[in-house]
Amino acid sequence: MNDGERTARFNRLAVEYSRYYKGKIRTLPSVPINSLKDFSYWYTPGVSEVSMEIKRNPEESFNLTGRWNSVGIVTDGTRVLGIGNVGPEAAMPVMEGKAMLFNLLGGVNAIPLPLRVSDRDHFISVVKALEPSFGGFNLEDIESPKCFYVLKELQEKLTIPAWHDDQLGTACIILAGLINSMRITGRKAQDTTLTLVGSGAANIAAAHLLIESGFEPKNIIMVDSKGILDKERDDLDSLMFSNPWKYELALITNGENRKGTMENAIKGTDIIVSAAKAEPGTIKNEWIGEMNNDAIVFALANPLPEIWPQDAIDNGAKIVATGRGDFPNQINNSLVFPGVFRGMLDARSRGVNFGIMVKAAQEIANFVGAPQPDRIVPSMEDWELYPQVASTVARAAVDEGFARKPDSKEGYLKTAREIISTNRAMIEKSMDLGFIRKLPEVRE
Amino acid sequence: MKESSGTVRKAREGDIDQFMSMILRMKKLNGEFDPLFRTREGDDTPIRDYYLKCINDHEHFITLVAVKKDKIMGLVKAEIRERISYEPSKELRIIDLYIMPEFRRKNVGNMLLSAIYGEMKKLGIKIITAEFPSLNLIALNFYEKIGYREVTSVYGKNIEEDSD
Repeated sequence: MNDGERTARFNRLAVEYSRYYKGKIRTLPSVPINSLKDFSYWYTPGVSEVSMEIKRNPEESFNLTGRWNSVGIVTDGTRVLGIGNVGPEAAMPVMEGKAMLFNLLGGVNAIPLPLRVSDRDHFISVVKALEPSFGGFNLEDIESPKCFYVLKELQEKLTIPAWHDDQLGTACIILAGLINSMRITGRKAQDTTLTLVGSGAANIAAAHLLIESGFEPKNIIMVDSKGILDKERDDLDSLMFSNPWKYELALITNGENRKGTMENAIKGTDIIVSAAKAEPGTIKNEWIGEMNNDAIVFALANPLPEIWPQDAIDNGAKIVATGRGDFPNQINNSLVFPGVFRGMLDARSRGVNFGIMVKAAQEIANFVGAPQPDRIVPSMEDWELYPQVASTVARAAVDEGFARKPDSKEGYLKTAREIISTNRAMIEKSMDLGFIRKLPEVRE
Repeated sequence: MKESSGTVRKAREGDIDQFMSMILRMKKLNGEFDPLFRTREGDDTPIRDYYLKCINDHEHFITLVAVKKDKIMGLVKAEIRERISYEPSKELRIIDLYIMPEFRRKNVGNMLLSAIYGEMKKLGIKIITAEFPSLNLIALNFYEKIGYREVTSVYGKNIEEDSD
């Protein structure tokens, strides 16, 4: 079966299964209910006293309700996976899938919330209005540059963390992969040159995070569909208004003031991180040969990488990573967000910042142990990764003064392990007992 | 804020090529704020001639550039205006103020304005105003931050496009 046939088969199965299961997540009680009597404390009359406790001190909502472990997955459906602006209803299958991963890998109760709002300030006010129900928000599949504005405003306005996975999750796992790639090739961040191909949400966030982690802005070159981002480019004034985050990078990156095509940006560089056109040949094989020795190439476009891994290696790359699971070194957000959220929720964090993200990335890199060219990041099945990341993130939240519930790293690790393993046991048990039904037979 | 070494001097005819490319960048940006500022296509010669006139006409214009070696970092062009009905009778109106992106946040704007104030003192002009598209919030913030306030509002429309 070729790639195309395989994809078509997965598409068909996904629709059939979705029709069969009618939703990938559900809510269940978490308290014992043996008789009607139990309602007197889970519901009326007793529950009103719980409400009064929270009224007296709203922070108690993190201790007396499930708020502490609830995350809202909010989207406007304007940039769903590879399919673009499909609207909120059509975004739901993807948000449900994300909620499922949140639950399975992080033990988080994540609620999909596709919103019918297009105006960015309206979106912010709706999310702000939902704040009392949640311990954190995960923004998902929102178009660029709207996503930068929305995230920045929400991080300022909310007293719980706001995370945009397409920016922050991707940036974090890119950094983790680069930390190990640089260990293998004996590089130091401050002396390393890096070209970011594609200037969408992920690479703009990655550039900011990489700078925070020690890369020199002057050693970074950004490339977009118009070519190298240089300080004299005609569209810079207009970027100042339309995409201030990219404008910011234009002013501080590209110390050599290179101009022109992608090829000019790649010559003599140590690292390429590409999140651009999903087509092999976007990065030409021979350009890899013009990079420095022991080149590092992250070709992250999905479903097709900008250059095939073997072609990059044949032309001199030492380490290649892609966004796909069928090649070594999959750069995948799912290695990041479950642990990050587990940690933020366990610390009842008021926010998240680049400092916390750098620590999360270092933890993910360290988890690999002795990295090899074909193993620079953990695998999604490394279950111990998530509690480890969680405890690092929770401790970082304490150090940043964000934690409502401070604890030691060991304490957080124990909590995270317990929540994640109990949750996974519940899922397995439900499958064993048939409450989660077996996959139906589908005519192939 | 990092200071950018460099000097401010009166613009000269020899500056015109760099000067023009900066003016065109700025006018093009204005077009993005408002279709009433859509820039003309084609031959730039009339614009070039106009600015050459401004550079040489010290009676009606103050035209300064901030330079670092041979490179123009930023420019300001202001008009000296008569105020028939008001006291004091003269006003300096900044029409064009532009800093190349690579020299922004390095105090070049303040260098240019200080030099403008110096020229005003020499000419005995006390009032300065600046005009820019209403939707240019960065310009608005810049001028408010340095103590300017809204003085005049200019409203407009294209009578052929708008039937209301």
